[in-house]
Formats: sequence, C-alpha cells, structure tokens
Amino acid sequence: MTATKGTRTVYREFEIEEYTLVDEPFYVPVSDEIELFEAAYSQKIPVLLKGPTGCGKTRFIEHMAWRLGRPVTTVAGSKGGSQEKDGHPVPLITIACHEDLTASDLVGRYLLEGQETRWIDGPLTRAVKAGAICYLDEIVEARKDTTVLIHPLTDHRRQLPIEKRGQLLQAEDGFMLCMSYNPGYQSALKDLKHSTRQRFMAIEFDYPDQEVEARVVQHESGVSAEIAQSLARLGEKVRNLKDYGLQEGASTRLLIYVGRLINQGISPRRACQTAVSWAVTDDRDVQQSINEVITSIFE
Amino acid sequence: MNEGPSELEREIGQLPAPVLEAFQQARERTEQKLSDAELLAWAQQGVAIALLPVRSWDAASEYFRATPVVCEHLSATQLIDWARSGSLLCEDSPTLAAAFFRASAGTVPHLAAQQIGGWANLGRSLYRGTWKSSTLSTRFFEATPDLAAHLSYSDIEQFVALLRTLSQKSWDLATECLALGLELFPKLDVDGHALIDLATVLAERSWREVKGCFEGMPRLLTNVQKEHRGRFLRLAERLAVSGMTNIAAFLSKGSTALGQVDPGNQGHLFDLAERLPHTSSEAVAALFRGSPAVLSRISADQMEDWFETGLGILQHNPDGGLAYFRLESSTSEQALEALSSAVELERAQDVLRMYCRALAGANVDIVPTKELVAKNIGWVSETSAATDGTTVYLPPRVDKYNAKAMNFTLLKVISTHQVGHIEFGSFDFSFGTPSERFPDRRWERSAELSVTPVGRSEPEAASDAPTEASPSAERGFLTDMGRFFDLFPKRKLALDIFTATEDGRLDYRVKADYPGLSAMYRRVQLDALTERPRIEAMPAQEAMVEFLVRLSLQQNRGLPCPKEFIEEAKAIALVAERLLHADAMVEDSAEATIRIYDLIAAIPNEAVPEEEWGEVDAEQPEMSLEELEQLLAELKGRSVPAASPEQQEQSYDSPPQIDYRGDFKPELAQLLSSLRAQQGQQDETQDDVDMSREMLEQLLANSVELEPGTVEGQPDTELGAFAQNIMKEAGVVPPTPGQGYGPMAHQQDDGRPLEAKEPKTFVYDEWDFRAGDFKPRWCIVREKPMAEGDPQFYADTLRNYAHVVAKIKRQFEMIMPETFRKIKHVQDGEEFDLDSVVESIIDRWCGVQPSDKLYWRRNKVQRDVAVVFLMDMSASTAEAIDESSHTSNDWDAPDDPAEYMVWLRGRRGERTHRNVKRIIDLEKESTVLLINALESIGDVYGIYGFSGYGRENVEFYVIKDIEESFGEAAKRRIDKITPLHATRMGPAIRHAVSKLERQTARTKLMFLISDGRPQDRGYSREGVEKEYAVHDTKMALTEARRKGITPFCLTVDKSGHDYLKTMCQDMGYEILDDVTALPSRLPMLYRKLTV
Repeated sequence: MTATKGTRTVYREFEIEEYTLVDEPFYVPVSDEIELFEAAYSQKIPVLLKGPTGCGKTRFIEHMAWRLGRPVTTVAGSKGGSQEKDGHPVPLITIACHEDLTASDLVGRYLLEGQETRWIDGPLTRAVKAGAICYLDEIVEARKDTTVLIHPLTDHRRQLPIEKRGQLLQAEDGFMLCMSYNPGYQSALKDLKHSTRQRFMAIEFDYPDQEVEARVVQHESGVSAEIAQSLARLGEKVRNLKDYGLQEGASTRLLIYVGRLINQGISPRRACQTAVSWAVTDDRDVQQSINEVITSIFE
Repeated sequence: MNEGPSELEREIGQLPAPVLEAFQQARERTEQKLSDAELLAWAQQGVAIALLPVRSWDAASEYFRATPVVCEHLSATQLIDWARSGSLLCEDSPTLAAAFFRASAGTVPHLAAQQIGGWANLGRSLYRGTWKSSTLSTRFFEATPDLAAHLSYSDIEQFVALLRTLSQKSWDLATECLALGLELFPKLDVDGHALIDLATVLAERSWREVKGCFEGMPRLLTNVQKEHRGRFLRLAERLAVSGMTNIAAFLSKGSTALGQVDPGNQGHLFDLAERLPHTSSEAVAALFRGSPAVLSRISADQMEDWFETGLGILQHNPDGGLAYFRLESSTSEQALEALSSAVELERAQDVLRMYCRALAGANVDIVPTKELVAKNIGWVSETSAATDGTTVYLPPRVDKYNAKAMNFTLLKVISTHQVGHIEFGSFDFSFGTPSERFPDRRWERSAELSVTPVGRSEPEAASDAPTEASPSAERGFLTDMGRFFDLFPKRKLALDIFTATEDGRLDYRVKADYPGLSAMYRRVQLDALTERPRIEAMPAQEAMVEFLVRLSLQQNRGLPCPKEFIEEAKAIALVAERLLHADAMVEDSAEATIRIYDLIAAIPNEAVPEEEWGEVDAEQPEMSLEELEQLLAELKGRSVPAASPEQQEQSYDSPPQIDYRGDFKPELAQLLSSLRAQQGQQDETQDDVDMSREMLEQLLANSVELEPGTVEGQPDTELGAFAQNIMKEAGVVPPTPGQGYGPMAHQQDDGRPLEAKEPKTFVYDEWDFRAGDFKPRWCIVREKPMAEGDPQFYADTLRNYAHVVAKIKRQFEMIMPETFRKIKHVQDGEEFDLDSVVESIIDRWCGVQPSDKLYWRRNKVQRDVAVVFLMDMSASTAEAIDESSHTSNDWDAPDDPAEYMVWLRGRRGERTHRNVKRIIDLEKESTVLLINALESIGDVYGIYGFSGYGRENVEFYVIKDIEESFGEAAKRRIDKITPLHATRMGPAIRHAVSKLERQTARTKLMFLISDGRPQDRGYSREGVEKEYAVHDTKMALTEARRKGITPFCLTVDKSGHDYLKTMCQDMGYEILDDVTALPSRLPMLYRKLTV
C-alpha cells in the first residue's frame, strides 16, 4: 500500500494487486455462505453470487477476501498437533462489467511509449498473476464474447491465454474467479449462457431477516437499535410489494442510506421517503402506498 | 223602470213558486237594511232577471237568496250595480248568472265593491257561447270564493287571463287547470301569484306544460320549505322566459332533489341557483338535481367554492360547465373530492391495497364491506370492517372527522387493525401450540370436558340454537378455533372475551410496531372510549365484559366496577396486562380468555344498584406469573354470592362493537381458510375428514358468530344458505341441485389419441401432471384464418390512442439508434479508430504485418427478433371492465363450456355498468398498437388468437401469420376478433411454438395475453382439479423455453398471482392491475424485453 503525501491533499492510491483488506469488513452471515465460500476457495471452484441488488454480495466478497487473508490457526484433527498458517493477504480485484468491456480491457494491451511499445496487463491478468480474488460485478452486462474469455480460467486448467503476446498464463494458487449476477426481471437478451454459468458454483443471497438486517443497518449507519429495527421492518414490508407493483424491494443498502440520513438530522419520514419510496419506484400510487407504510412505522 | 209596487207585486205573484219563496225569504231578511225605495229597486231587478227569456228563474232565485249576505257588504247603489252585472250575465247565459249569484255570497266579502262588475266580466270573458265554455265559466264563478280568499283581485284577473289563453287551445285543459289551481292556491298561499306568473309565461310559450306544472306542485309543497317556494317558482319563470322547455320536469325533479337536502340548506341552494345565468337553464336544473349528492359529501359553505369553480367554467365553456354541474366531469369530481373531508374507499383502495399487502406480506385484497355482506356468509354489517384472512373488507366511506387527512388516517388505523389479524396471526390459532405468556390450560380443560361433558344446564343466554349436550370430543373438529370455543358452556361470552383480549393484543402490537401510527391509534381508541355505553347501567356480568373491553382500549384509571367484584376486576386487569407484550401470540389471548372467562362466568348477570359501584385502576402492582395463577385459583374458589332472591338474573348481551375494530369472526375465518386449503389439496384428503355440508351446518348452528337475527326464522334454510355460500366462497365445487355433495359426475373422455386428418389441423400431446407423463396425440389444433371485417377499426384505434401511439413511437424509435452499433476494425468507415491505429503502429514496430482495418463505422446490426403473440379469445373476455374492483374468482367456474356460459352470463348480470369496454376490445386495441409499433422496427411477428371447445377442437385463429407481411387483410381481421369459447392454452402454445421454431431469428419470443386461468371441457382431472390445466400450460411454456423461445405471460386477471406463480415460475409474467392500461403497456413491455 502506498500513500502519497502531497503538500495539501492526502489520497491513497493502490496498485490493484496490492489492494487488500486490512480491517474486517462488517458482515453478518445469514446462513452457511462463509463455509461454502471457504470450501470453494480451497478447492478452487469459481463462485457465482446470485441475489438482488444491495443485499450484500459485494460486502460478502470483501469480507471473504479479508477472512481468507488473515492468519488462521488450523487444528489438524487426528494428529492432535496444531499448525500455524501465516497471514497471506488475498488481494481483491473488482471489475465492473459493462456492454463495451472487450477482451483487451480484461487481459491487457500494448501501449506506445515514446518510440517504444509497452505491454500493460489488464486487471484479469494481474489478478491471475497475483493470485487474487477477481470479482466480476454484474457479469450479464458484459458482452458474450468477453465472457467466453474466462472459460479456461474456471476449469481445471486455470489458465489465461494472452493471445497478443502468444502466452499462456497459469493462475497463481490464490487466484479465484467470482462473479455476481442479479437474476429476475431482465431482458430476454441478457441472460447468462449455460456454458458460462455451469462453470460456477452458485451461492444465493437474499435480504437478511429483520433481526440480522437491523443489526447490519445499525452497524453501518450508526443509528439507534430502535430506529434500525424500524428500518428493517420497513424493508421487510416494502419487499412484500415485490411483484405487486415493485420490481425490486428496498435493498439493505438503501436502508443503510436512510439510517445515515437520519443520523445527519433528516427526519426519519423524510429520509425514508427520499431513500426508499422515491428511490425504488416512479409509480405514484406505489410511492404513496410505501409512504403510508413509512408514516405508520415512523413518527 | 217606474213601475209601482202594485205592478211589481203582480209580476212577482206570477213568478214560479221556488223563486217566489226565495224572494219572500230574502225580503224578510233585508227589509230592515234597505229603505222602501231601495227595496223596490232590488225587487224590480230580480223580477227583471226572472223575466228574461229561457230558464232565468234559477238565476233569479239565486239572486234573491244571495241578497241577504251581499247587502251586508254593499250599499244600496252597489247592490243594484251587482244585480245589473248579474242580469247582464243572464242575458248571455242564465246558468252563468245563477253561478254568479250563488258565488256572490262567498265572494263579495273579499272584493271591493267596484271590483264586482269586473269580476262578473271576468267570468263572462271565459264564456264563448259553447257548452264547454259555459262549464268553465260556471266553475270559475263557483271557485271564486276560494280563489278570492287566497288571491288578490289582480291575481284573479291574471289567472282568468291564463285560463282564457289556455281555453283557446283546449277547454278541458283550462277547466282542469282551474280545478288544480283551486286546490293549490290555498296551500301555496302568497306564492299563488308566482305560480300564476309562471303559468302565464308558459301558456304563451309552451301551453302544454302548464298542466304538468300545476300537477307538480304538490311535490313542491311537500319538499320545498315554505319560504323558498316563491323563489323556486320565480326562478322557473325566469328560466321559462329564457327559453327553457320542460319546466314541469324541472319543477318536479328539482323538488324531489330539494326534498333530499337538509331544509336549512335550501335557501343557500337558491342563492346559488339564482346566480347562474338564466341562459344556461340546464345547468340550473343539474345544480338542483345534483345537490343531494353534493351536499352529502360537502357542507353548504364548501358547496359555494365548488359552485364558483363551476360557474367559472360555465362562463367560458357552457358544455364543460354543464357537465360540471351534472357531476359528469372529472374537474367537478376532483373539486368535490378536494373539498370533501370524507375519504371514499374507492379512491384510497389502490393505495391501501398495497399498504395492506406490504404489512401482511401476503396477497391481501381490499374490498368494500358491501361485497362481504352480499356473500351472505355470516358478516352482516356494511359499516364495520372485517377480514376473512385473505381479504380485508373496509367501509365504503369514512367521514368521522372534519379533516380529510384525519379521516384517511382513521381508515389506515382501521385497515392496519384488520391486517393486524393477518400479520399478527389471529387466524393462526392452533389448539396444540403452547402459549408464551401463560401456562397452558387448554388441554387439561379439554380432557376434563371429555370425561364429564359440561351439561348445558346453565341458562344459555346467547345461543339461540341450543344443541343437545354433545360431548365435544366426539365431534370432529373443523377448526381449532371452534374446538377452543367448545371448551366453554357460554360460547358467546367466551367469544366476547376472546375478541376483547385478542383485539387488545393486536392494538398493543400495532402501536409498538408502528410508532408512526400510534398517536392516531391512541386517539381513535380514546374516541372509541367516549362512545362506550355507561357501564353503571349494565348488569354485573356484562359490566365485567365491558370492563375488559375498556381495558383493551387502554383505559387504565377510574374504571367503574361493581364493588363486590373489585378483586375479580383487578385479576382481569393483571391477566390482560400479560398480553401487552411483543411475544404474546394468539394462543396467549386464548389462555387469557380461559382465565377471564372463569372469573366472569361465575358472576351473576344482575343489575347493580348505583351505590354499589367502585373504581379500579388497571395499573396493579407487579405480580409474578405464579402469584397471578395463585390469585386466580383463589378467586375461582371463592363462593360467589347466589343471586339475591328479589333480583332476576338477566340474559347476557354482548357489549356493542368498537367501530374501528370491526367485526371479528375468528371461527368463520378459520373455517374458510381450512375449506380453501382443503380445496387446494382435494386429492389427498378425499377420504379424510372431508367437510360435508351437514357438518358445516352443525358448526354454524353452534357458532355464535352468526348474528342471531339472521339465523332466526327458518334456521334450517338459513343455515343451509350460509353453508352453501361459505362453501362457494371457499371455492368448493358448488353442487347442482339434487346431486348433493357427492363427487361430481364427470363426463369422461374416451381417452383415445386423436388423429389429424383434415388439412391445417395438427395434433399435440398434453401433459398430465399427476401421471407425470404426456397423453399422446391428445389435442387437435385447427388453424383457421380469422374472418375479415372492417379495416376502419384499425384506423379508429390509432386515432383514439393518438397520444399513446406517439409515445410508443418515440420509445420504439429510440431502439433504432441502439441497434446502430459502433463497429470497429473495418476497412472503410467514418473515422480512424484510435485503438486500431495504435495497434497497427505497434505491429509495424514489432515487425508484424499491420492490419489495414483502421476505421470504425456505425453499422446497422440486424435486429433479429421473431415474436408470436397469442391472444386469449375465450368467452370470459366478453366481460365488461368494471371500474370498481371486483374480485374475480374463477375457481367456481364450471368446467363444461355450456354451463360456463350460463355461469358467465349470471356473473355478468351482477355488473351494473353495461356499456363499458370488454376485455377483448382492449386486446384488439393492443393488437393494433402493437402492430403499429412492430412495423416500425421491422421485427418478424405473428399474431394469433385462440379458443376452443374440447380437446378435439382447439381453434387457432390467424390474425397475422408470422410469414405474412402486414397489409389490408390483417387490418380487417383484427376487427373480427371476438370472444368465443374456452381457453385450452397448452395446445395453442405448442402450435405457436412450432411456428416460431421454423424461424431463424436469434431471439424468439412468445407473448401470451390472457384474462384468466386456462380452462376447457375435459381440461382437468376428474373434472375438478383445475390444477391440471395450469400444469399443462406450464409444461407447454417449459417446452417453448427448451426450444430457445422466451415465453412471457401477460394477464389482466388480478387474482392471477396464485396460478401464474405455478404456471410461469421462473419465466417472466406480469399482471396488469389496471386492465385499461393493456394497449399502452403491451408494446412497452415488448420493447423492454427485447432491448
């Protein structure tokens, strides 16, 4: 990690392979997803995280990167001795996928430097080299020809062909491919191809239940337990409207925003209105219904 | 005329006897008043009359008879003038003269002397020498005494002028109007003048209406306040002057409307009406007619504002203004809505429906209470909210407070409480689930009962259907709630206690979970408390229940209670207190009910003297659960003083309901839901405790949730009706009369595979989900071209939806640039592609052959989409679109199309709106808009309709074939889309899929547009299991998906969630809440799915 100290501004700049999580990202497990992920990591199985927006997929992957990178003590069962494993930070490289994401955007390209050419690795290549967790966010958005590129990385080969340079890159031990996917109401043209999706094991996420969500909201936004509880209740109620006028319920992320707004002195009703009812829908009737729920829950 | 008295006497002597007699009598009575000379002149006049030709003796007699009265009021000269007037009349007609003289006695006192001559002339002016005119004239004279008593002379003159005018048209009419006038004027009093003015105007303009106008008066008299009648008539007159026709109708309808308005507001209404320009007479009429409706929603003062707005509109847009006052414009409706403080359920329904869904987390519908009452399944009040566990019934209107916002919040409180029953599980009561806050006593109590059945020896005050003391254990329990109530000999008391404790628990939970609502909730509770009856007037047992009710409304201090039972009251308060906890469940309410029941049931229901009342505070010192149980046991053991001999124990009456809590019927709700559940899994439970109608009836007879009033009378038939209605409500197949409730006789198919012999027929398999296999070659699809109709429909629709068309067009045009992709690496293009240039330089330096593809250009990427639209043309699409939400439950629809049509017709008959659009019309319109949009982007598409009748006859109509290009013929076919028979979706989908399969497009879509669940003859298992159809459809959709086709279901059936969830699972579907949005929604949806 390098921190460049200027005379006035202080900002942090990382080489992407060096971005590791030092402090524990807050994550409350809902079920056995942590064990599943750890098992997948040790068995080098790529993981697909499915779930609605804002339910904590990205936070989970951050948490896992941190968890896998911290020093762990494993106790060997039969022999009775304990083994100390050194903390080896696992870098996390996140790639936001979009329609124009090309293969060279992932793998790398030549650049001109003066009269010289210089090869520069793309983020995927760097992840492969550094043995990082590579997280492809919203994979369905990427072009289909791009997604095919990752195929050799996902099976037993664990290789990344770099065509331009005529190289084949063998992935480092710690390398893991992860992607997120939001199923549901999507365009028929944007579906994940089976040849791609069947290369991943999938962990399904959903919004946590009221209690857990209240804890999350309370921790992330710093509101009182009581308000967090109310926010979680609101979240649950609004999610009940999914498919009845709402495409997606209010995400945990939105609830956290509300909590933060409240912390800044915005009145709870107003905060909910702006960060929930206006955020999730443009339909006036639905907005009003949500507002009624809000006014019932908050004074 | 200078004859001597002797001459006169001779002439008199010659008069016929009756005249002579009259003369002599009159002379005796007038002698003192008149001088001899005057007397002589008087007599001479009489003789003169008598001597006139033809039957003038009558007149003379009348003349003599009238004299004694008349001369009281007239001087001698005037008397002679009077006589002359009469004799002049007599020259025209002796009958007239006779009538004149006869009426004189009554008339003269009301007239000034100089008017008498005029009066006679008035009568004569009506006389035209004909028999009819003579009648009229005679009647007039006869009527004059009465007329003169109530009208001024000038009014009479005017009235006569009116009669004269009318008589020129019709003598009969004039006569009738005279008679009517005669009746009316006394009642109208001073306003008679106004009526005559009005009639005069009418007589000139449209004389035929005069009579109607007179005839309408009685209604005016009864409905319009005395002080406003004149105003009303003068208003009518002004309208008539300005050209309004049909004044009679205006008067009668206006009067009727005014009669429905608070009398104090009538004047106000006239103030407003008079301000309307007279030229817009229709607006005035509309104002009156609409006034009751308007004033029922807003106050008279607010009406002023509403009126101002309308007046403004009227001035620059007469038609608009008229519609406004007729309450036919939305502006008017909005103005009313804005002014009114009441909240109409209809307006809040959509918002509340979603609100309730959000809270309950289930598909809760909101329906006005009257639909629940109409179902006749036990709920009877249209004003109290209720829920049966799946639907929340709310009163149609809330207008308790002065501010709209308050009323809305009240409605919210009401619905939150009802949803609370669902959210906090009132109906989830299970006999076996342990409670949280009490040690459970249900089971031991139930065990005790089965050993020593409680004889119903105690006065069973409530239940009017006493059942033989049946040991409850022997009876199969239909619901857990019923089983619970069976623990108590006094079921009604138990229900009241349970209702109070459970409602108290809900209120606590709602207030705790919804702090935002709690302030209003508290206020509503306080208001409810002020509406409670005086507790001191109640007999002891009822008083204790009322005590509990007030506790549940959180009255904590100064609760009145009979001194004798203060200990019990304190214990009740302690028990109730334990329910106010976030963990308390419905089972806790039940346990609390047991404890409170034991306390209250022991208290005799007798009046308590005024001085025997004390007060209790609910806030009791903390007590542990053990201590409380101990206390309860002690109290139970305490011997309650026997009813004092002079006191009669009264029968127990339930305390009045609390408005906002509505009508709580836990047993019925559980019954309904268990029936529904049973229906859902009919197959497995067929041999089990299938609920028979007899069992149901017995249960209902036992239940105290049915209002006594409705069960009395003919209990058997009533209960039978209830049972039938409940079964219907729960979706149990209704039996046909005479068949009983046995398994439905079902016409079996011969079950042989079919063969497609004719051209354009195709066979398909059908999926049997029970068998887990296809039935081979099961259905025949007959593909037919749709008949051709008028292409005008196409053009009309585009015109009617011009705004939508424009919007859709914009949206679809935006697809076009999106399909222009930037293509890199081309040899020729708009500009250098920087990346390629750099690459080629790099290549050159690296010594590699550089590519010459250095440009990029925008290239049109062929949108490669093929789509098939399948339109449901089943008979149900003929259903008119009802504005008010009507929960359509198709489950009870008969399977056989013939029966189905009857059923459908019956259902449609229920609807009131008739000339609204049908679903099929919207489907047709959608087709037009869709074609219009699809043509603009050039996707390959086909549009088909399907219907059918039985498996061998699935009709598949081609509106536009997928290979056909759009033209005049297709336009014509759209016009001919009509509702036909049933909906066998599976084969239709399979056929559509086969058409799509032949397409080479990269993206293939299939849209299914329907209005309900699939159904057809034999499209079920054993004729009852409609799941079969759903599963076959699901299979057909899955097949489509396997073939690379994306299916999408769009339905307008609001209750579609239940089966679509099964049918489409992970496939896309959408339910249109607002059917009318279909034409605009469909193209947009298509766009969304393909971009």
